[in-house]
Amino acid sequence: MIADQLPRLLDGTPGTPRTLAQHEAAFATTTKVTSHLAELEASGLTGRGGAGFPTAKKARLLREQRGHHKVVVVNAMEGEPASHKDSTLLNTNPHLVLDGAEILASIVGASEVVLCVARDNPAVVNNVKQAVHERQRRSSRGVTFTLQTPPWRYVAGEESALVHWLNDNQSLPQYRPQRPTILKLDRHPVLVDNAETCANVALIGRFGASWFRSLGTNESPGSTLVSVTGAVTRPTVLEVVLGTPLRTILDTVGAPAQPQAVLLGGYGGSWLHARDLNTPFDNQSLRPVGASVGAGVIVVLGHETCGILETQRVVKWMANESARQCGPCAFGLPALSDDLLQLSHGSRDQKSTLTRLRDRCGVIEGRGACHHPDGVVRFVRSALDVFADDVNRHVAGNPCHGSRATKHFATVPRLEHEKELVWE
Amino acid sequence: MMALTTPYLWYTTRATGMVALILFTLVVALGTLVSNRIGGTFVGRFEVNELHRSASIVAIIFLVLHILTTVIDSYVPTGWISIVVPFTSSYRRVGVAIGAISFDLILAVWISSLLKVRVKNESWRFIHWFSWLAFAGAIAHAYLSGTDAKNSAGLLVVAACTLTVLLAGLWRYFGRPTRAAGRTALSPLAASKGAKAHGVVSGKVPTRATSPSSFPRASSPRSQKKRRK
Amino acid sequence: MGIRKRTGGFLLRVNPILCDGFGHCHELAPELVNMDEWGYPIITNEPTPLSNLGALESARYAVRGCPRQALRLERVSDL
Repeated sequence: MIADQLPRLLDGTPGTPRTLAQHEAAFATTTKVTSHLAELEASGLTGRGGAGFPTAKKARLLREQRGHHKVVVVNAMEGEPASHKDSTLLNTNPHLVLDGAEILASIVGASEVVLCVARDNPAVVNNVKQAVHERQRRSSRGVTFTLQTPPWRYVAGEESALVHWLNDNQSLPQYRPQRPTILKLDRHPVLVDNAETCANVALIGRFGASWFRSLGTNESPGSTLVSVTGAVTRPTVLEVVLGTPLRTILDTVGAPAQPQAVLLGGYGGSWLHARDLNTPFDNQSLRPVGASVGAGVIVVLGHETCGILETQRVVKWMANESARQCGPCAFGLPALSDDLLQLSHGSRDQKSTLTRLRDRCGVIEGRGACHHPDGVVRFVRSALDVFADDVNRHVAGNPCHGSRATKHFATVPRLEHEKELVWE
Repeated sequence: MMALTTPYLWYTTRATGMVALILFTLVVALGTLVSNRIGGTFVGRFEVNELHRSASIVAIIFLVLHILTTVIDSYVPTGWISIVVPFTSSYRRVGVAIGAISFDLILAVWISSLLKVRVKNESWRFIHWFSWLAFAGAIAHAYLSGTDAKNSAGLLVVAACTLTVLLAGLWRYFGRPTRAAGRTALSPLAASKGAKAHGVVSGKVPTRATSPSSFPRASSPRSQKKRRK
Repeated sequence: MGIRKRTGGFLLRVNPILCDGFGHCHELAPELVNMDEWGYPIITNEPTPLSNLGALESARYAVRGCPRQALRLERVSDL
């Protein structure tokens, strides 16, 4: 039974997905909610995929579109390497996600739900397959569920890239000059929502908006999933109430009392000063310190490594993940990575490297079709701010001891061939 | 119109045909210059593009003259339909057919280019690739149905045109700027004579194009072209 | 030919996916388009008033001249 406190989303045994029978027993299908859309609007739920767009607004927009074969796409691609919340959610409570997708389908008038899970994660794929199979044997609202497994790339989780893959088998982000632009799947309007968002929709649809708002802050109601990695005793996915001080979250996972810095949001997010760790974990509180909740990624950086080097490794990987459709991203991001590498090595002529880096950030920002380069620029700028002392030392020719570190905190897959961390 | 024939029509057909072939050779060569991003220092890239477009108009005019004089001339039994439909001419059936096919392709390229602003760019590019095929057809047509291709001077012209386009094609492929290498690099205006560098050359990259005064219009190829009007 | 006074302005917009860094726009409309070190256009973000006929003409030439048709002229209703 879902109580007024946590856990809400992760109610159950993490790692052991609930069967449909267990889900129905724990969840009880009767609900007092009459209009799901009105309840969603009252709840103030925002997207949990990273962009934080109001879910009800998106649903209303799709509802107003003409079309008899609309589709709801559940985005569980989880492009962020340091994020494992969606796979944990699907490994624990898949039917909650499916319920939410069904509710969204009924709101917008869709008859099909497509679940997108990266094929590189066979455990999650199997669990979702199982859940969909159980659903099909007992279809309720007449909604058909399909599972699609695009290959995992960073940009594959971007919604226009995801829809493009579904249409054309290529994860290429699309140019959308006018927001909002309705994405189309074979000419049918499609609503794309993150898996965690869908799970929240299911909870709101069952317990109502005021229950949802009983936790969290006024502007950021509810709870959210965070993936905490880095200098922690054990990498974890936690469900936290929005507005919890970041320090509390870090203490729960055994982070050091004084880490060097914390990365928030994702690899396209921002670094946070160690002095700002008491900030409440919600967008309103994080914005003044230059960060955001993003995709719920928290990477704790210890002192054994150099912040510039960590940043450079991530930027190099992010540059490699560019779809290379747009010049400023295809050429600019590798250039940023090169500049950061030069900076971290502490060679001569660092001042011009720093100036060039800053200038390039200004040039690259905003000139891609999607926001991939913008995220990287934000990340780099936050690094230059948070690690300013380090930067000055490097520029002066004294690189910090961490620049020769072999231990790294931000997992950078594929490029470094590191083993995947095990999740709870 | 019934029995209109004069040797001058026939000479015009042959002459305009040869000129059209030479002009289309020029058009294809200019096209490869555009694709391989030639220009920027002494000649503007947009000027090469405009030259390519203008030359194609002149070439088409000569081609149309060539076609009209052939059809009007009753000395050779080609009907109006054989301009666009292949294998409907009793005179030099295969040669004229290939010419008709080439003309169809050229028509498609031309019309899609007239509507370039309106059609999808990938559709336009797809059609544009057929211009190489159209040129190959023109060579075959010149050889198979051309009167002059059999004598030494005409053969020389056809051979020279073929060689030019062949080399242009090879250069188009092997000399193409690769993405990884970075194609355009410095601002052409910055590198041209008299223009002030905007800082792109020295590595100080301006963030936004803001005030008009930061771009010296006076010496750009574009404004020089304007003053001459 | 009379010139009608139009209010508002225009913006030159580039589709970064279609753009392949040919650089014709920078040559044709240098007052609106700058170039980054990799050859891609940096277009001014502020709308240009329609009364600036020179800039408008340059912009039109740039839109027409782009080999990939990556440019569009956008009307901005009020400045």
